[in-house]
Amino acid sequence: MSWNRESKLNGALVLLAVMAAWELASRAEMLNPLFFPPVTKILKSFFALISSGEIPAQILSSVRRASSGYVLAAMVFIPLGILMGLFDGLRRALEIVIETARPIPPPVVVPVAMLFFGLGEGMKIFVIFFSSAWPILLNTIDGVRNIDRVLVQTARTFGLSQGRAIVKVILPAASPQIMTGLRVSLAITLILVVISEMVGSSDGIGYFILDAQRRLKVDRMYAGMLSLALLGYLLNQLFVIFTNYFLSWHRGMRRAE
Amino acid sequence: MKHRRFNLPGLAVFAALLLLWEVSSHSNPNLQSYFPPPSEVMSVLFRLAFARELLGHLVDTLERFLGGYLLAAAIAVSLGVCLGYFRLAHSFFDLLIELLRPMPSVAIIPVAILLLGIGDAMMIGVTVYACAWPILINTIDGVRSIDRTLIDTGRTFGLGRMRILREIALPAAAPYIMTGLRVSLPIALILVTTSEMVVGGSGLGYFILDEERSFRTKEMFAGIAVVALLGYALNRLFVALENRMLAWHRGITAKGTP
Repeated sequence: MSWNRESKLNGALVLLAVMAAWELASRAEMLNPLFFPPVTKILKSFFALISSGEIPAQILSSVRRASSGYVLAAMVFIPLGILMGLFDGLRRALEIVIETARPIPPPVVVPVAMLFFGLGEGMKIFVIFFSSAWPILLNTIDGVRNIDRVLVQTARTFGLSQGRAIVKVILPAASPQIMTGLRVSLAITLILVVISEMVGSSDGIGYFILDAQRRLKVDRMYAGMLSLALLGYLLNQLFVIFTNYFLSWHRGMRRAE
Repeated sequence: MKHRRFNLPGLAVFAALLLLWEVSSHSNPNLQSYFPPPSEVMSVLFRLAFARELLGHLVDTLERFLGGYLLAAAIAVSLGVCLGYFRLAHSFFDLLIELLRPMPSVAIIPVAILLLGIGDAMMIGVTVYACAWPILINTIDGVRSIDRTLIDTGRTFGLGRMRILREIALPAAAPYIMTGLRVSLPIALILVTTSEMVVGGSGLGYFILDEERSFRTKEMFAGIAVVALLGYALNRLFVALENRMLAWHRGITAKGTP
């Protein structure tokens, strides 16, 4: 415990030292202030952009896109994954198509989506949908395939129909691994929303950062990056809380074993 | 070794999809301009494969990929072993790592443009940055989870700190390190293609975006096929390498289980 507290203190000290060194080096022009403006200036512009509502507006449009694509992917690929995990024939039938599409690096899909959807929302949502699909799908399949056969057979014995067995037994039993897939996808979603906004957009936090760089408003650029990091951190924390709440029964069960 | 059966239904579905694409593309000229028939994409791909242009882009992308990935591995593994082994060093940098990690790595591209210009250095730089995280985190975890007995045994036999690091900590953490390396493999390809799209000039990412902008869809799809093949080949290569390098580890763990 005391080690832990000491460790936190050390970390905070180093962080402060780095920021102080940056501040001083920038003010003394040892670091080019054009590229590395003083930390205080970045923070000032960060708070100004927050209170003026400029950054929150950009973040909001990014989050809207990200969540549409992400939720859509979850809605399509969790059911598909469950079916593919249950029915071996279906899994084998789609295996080659999936293995062909999966190695495509997601940013490369951006041009195809631009061709089809133009520069609008559809393009970004599609790119996020495509790229967050794979971790969700593959983890769901694995999760369902690894379920203890006894569970499923017990459900059958008690006369549960196929549909109810899926909802009551298979979905909960596979949910830890589905959650893993969802978490991996969350990180990818954030990356892709930024990429698609950099390549073809006129709003969103990814556009904001690249635009600030192109106009050499470097403090705005760092402020944008800071808010993006905060967003990533927040989403991750939110996900952890959600998972803990959602899977508390699972942890309890494992402890009981 | 698991023997893989020939997957006939999978192949049939794949062929059926291609056929559907081919037929609908031929019958609808509007669709054809967006989704040219696969047969024409293939013929363009073969024509381009022997042309200098596509090959040059492929080589550029591959060079950036290798440069960034290998550099990231070298930096992150050595840093990770140190941070995992020395708790004090880890306590110094823990907070810094936790702050930088959640930022989506592509956001570093504008900074890199500012500092490194729009050449290879910038593309390699962002690739190093993005790939370093999974490798670093996994290496730290790997070294920290080493059985203390191993290290104590090494010390009993009079090994110095450096030799313990090199001969015990590094091999014992190797499975974790490999996981980090595998996670960062697709990330490297993402960062290389993205930075090629953003700054342009050369490389497969640039080629694909440029063909799209000039509405040469056949060439665009041919480029995507090349990137997909590249991703697939790199992954297979990695798995083969991993099996080879971790064969001893599998041997140990297999013996350990009853």
